[in-house]
Amino acid sequence: MVKNVKETFKGTKQKIIDTRDKINSIDFDAHWYRRVFHAFGASFLFYYILPDVDWINILKFWVPPLIVIIALLIELLRIKGHINSSHFFGLRLYEQKRIGSYVFFAVAILVLLRFFPQQIAIPCILCACFADPVMGEIRNRFCKTNAVLVGFVLCMFFFVFTWYKADPFLMILVGIVGAYGAVIGEAKKFYWLDDDFMIQMVPAILLAIIWFAIPYIGFSYPPDIIYPDLMPW
Amino acid sequence: MNEEKMNYVKDPNSNERIFRTELLLAPLLILLPLVVGIIFINDWYTRDFIEGTYDLNGQLILGIVIIVGNILFDIPFIRSLRNFKALFKKSKK
Repeated sequence: MVKNVKETFKGTKQKIIDTRDKINSIDFDAHWYRRVFHAFGASFLFYYILPDVDWINILKFWVPPLIVIIALLIELLRIKGHINSSHFFGLRLYEQKRIGSYVFFAVAILVLLRFFPQQIAIPCILCACFADPVMGEIRNRFCKTNAVLVGFVLCMFFFVFTWYKADPFLMILVGIVGAYGAVIGEAKKFYWLDDDFMIQMVPAILLAIIWFAIPYIGFSYPPDIIYPDLMPW
Repeated sequence: MNEEKMNYVKDPNSNERIFRTELLLAPLLILLPLVVGIIFINDWYTRDFIEGTYDLNGQLILGIVIIVGNILFDIPFIRSLRNFKALFKKSKK
């Protein structure tokens, strides 16, 4: 009898350990999956290096909005229950009844690529791709203050190196304003507006104001960082 | 533990779906940014460094940022993927 009880206890203990492992692995896995998905977003900067040729320009015009529209349609089907949410790996629980953050991420990248000059778009996209996951990681491991400080420095680096050919005053101004906007965009949480959208759009809008003011304050626009490549054939 | 999370863990198909989605997307998520970073650096080398113009230094930094940033997140991701693979095999047995 005692042996049976011991075996049952052992079995239950093993089940608890297995379940805990499963839960931990799901959380841990989804967590790193989301981080890699963020970093992957930097690949979209390839848009700027594509050759300036008619048929490629047509692709550049149509493909990015098409990707966003497809993502939006899939999300609508998921929210309406036609597609099971469990197919969407890495989705947070609160995202099950609203549009997933990856759509906000994609919409913000599309808006930046289409409507903003690359001097603004590139650092804003880099902030969402690298500063956001780094801040999240530091927040998880240390504290919020450290996350904000590291995020600010990292974002400032992205803005400064994108504007390194500009006047030093303008470069520092853009670095501080852009980093401040990105950190505010990441820290401020709304239910219907994801931080992946805000971290890109808040600094972009702030920098757009500076961009329009540049000729009036006596500076010249910095040159592009990425120039379209030549056709290899 | 959250009830929704509990139900998710109880669902025997969940692990399989997760594993399939991850395996399907992992090569794209890992390789594409590295390729883009290499293209940026290669473009800087052929159009800028060899010509000696040094106009595309920003592109070089961008390429390095993309590669280093992605590798930093890829390593723990691959490690977690391997852990999950082992766990998945164990749970299938």
